[in-house]
Amino acid sequence: MIGADSMHDRRALPRGAVPRRRLGALAGAVALCCGMAMAGTPARAESADVAFVHQFGDKLVAVINGPGSAAEKRQQIQPLIDRNVDVDGIAKFAMGRYWKLASPTQQQQFVTLFHHVLLNTITSRLGEYQGVRFSVGADTPHGNGQTQVATTIDRPGQPSADVDWVLGHAGGAPRVEDVFGEGVSLSLTQRQDYASYLSRNGNDIDKLLDAMRRQAARSS
Amino acid sequence: MRTVKNLLAHTRCAAPVIAAALLLGAGGCAQKPTDPDALADYNSTNDPLEPTNRFFFRVNNTVDKYTLKPVAQGYVYVVPQPVRTGVHNALANFASPATFFNDIFETKPRRAGDTLVRFVVNSTAGIGGVLDVAKGLGYPAHDADGGMTLASWGVPQGPYLYLPGLGPSSPQAATGFGMDIALSPLTYVPRGYGLLTLNWALYGIGVVDARAGVLDALDQINRDALDPYATLRSLYRQHRAAQIEAMRKDNRMTTPDWYTQ
Repeated sequence: MIGADSMHDRRALPRGAVPRRRLGALAGAVALCCGMAMAGTPARAESADVAFVHQFGDKLVAVINGPGSAAEKRQQIQPLIDRNVDVDGIAKFAMGRYWKLASPTQQQQFVTLFHHVLLNTITSRLGEYQGVRFSVGADTPHGNGQTQVATTIDRPGQPSADVDWVLGHAGGAPRVEDVFGEGVSLSLTQRQDYASYLSRNGNDIDKLLDAMRRQAARSS
Repeated sequence: MRTVKNLLAHTRCAAPVIAAALLLGAGGCAQKPTDPDALADYNSTNDPLEPTNRFFFRVNNTVDKYTLKPVAQGYVYVVPQPVRTGVHNALANFASPATFFNDIFETKPRRAGDTLVRFVVNSTAGIGGVLDVAKGLGYPAHDADGGMTLASWGVPQGPYLYLPGLGPSSPQAATGFGMDIALSPLTYVPRGYGLLTLNWALYGIGVVDARAGVLDALDQINRDALDPYATLRSLYRQHRAAQIEAMRKDNRMTTPDWYTQ
């Protein structure tokens, strides 16, 4: 546990920022932090969130950079998303004021379709890249008991992108509740897309579900 | 996403298109809903000119599809990535003076100092701005434009505008765009033939560079969004707010990264 953490922290630092001989001291400091965390100091929640983003990000990056077709990568990413991202919560938020207007069947269909569409979006965006690297920065409180963890994603030949992960702790363990890319919230953008579509289609939720079915069928 | 704003910045079809829109009666206001929840959505979107904006969105997209997009795709296909990065850096360096003045007007002297260092270092060691040497020295680029300056003075953003040629905007950003042109030294140099050519060349390359930078992003919006107009509006608004917030919260240190205290 301690070894893994110190390894992550080393990677998070700018290249060349820490001379090698100082790494021992750094590992010691991390060990101390972990010791404090075991003692139940407030440091625990923060470091747990950063560690969570490290682990989740490492697994995602391993799949993206790994071999296999887009379809195979999709298969590998799906369990990662289901385990680490609160997709149901994001779906409910994305439907906005229409959630309470929808029947229980429509709500259930919407959530199922949202899982498909989100996975398609993620795989279509990430699957095109090879040689992705990411580094994790600090965490800050986000309000509502949420924490925000900053990361930077580097892709070859592209400007680096700042991505912030908003984590909630509803079930005890941290889960991703929103993602901000360059200051833009994924869930809010989705919500405003759906709201506009619905208001231009007579507030008919079935039409939204049909459109999402077409999206899900298109690239799965 | 800043590039999105610049993206269709100069298609120069504005005057005839506005005239055509008025003739066709495309100008108009969205109807205010009566349902309280729908009204809350309407107010938060703040897009009372939506029908007109959507008309220009369609026009811009059509023009883009047959002109700028193929040119940008050709540029990406023919010119290798390192050269494109160099061109992008050089263009950013040409824009540094306007960034510097906006930093000052935003009362961010430390940001202004960084912009000045970037301009001096990149213009010399960076061979006319082609290489971003200053970034490696601990002076990364930041955003500053006329719209952000107006925001720092308390001027509200105002309703959403999708302008022909300019793309996503607002009264605040469009006014700021005019200020940036006024702040660019190139605007004031005497108009010799050589300089005129340079100005037009920069202008043309700038448009292609900006469009090439958002090829993937715009394709994704058009592919993944149910309502690309609303999604672009949401992205633009949020990104603008984030840029302004980053500027407000930036009280950076006077010492660069490499200086160990």
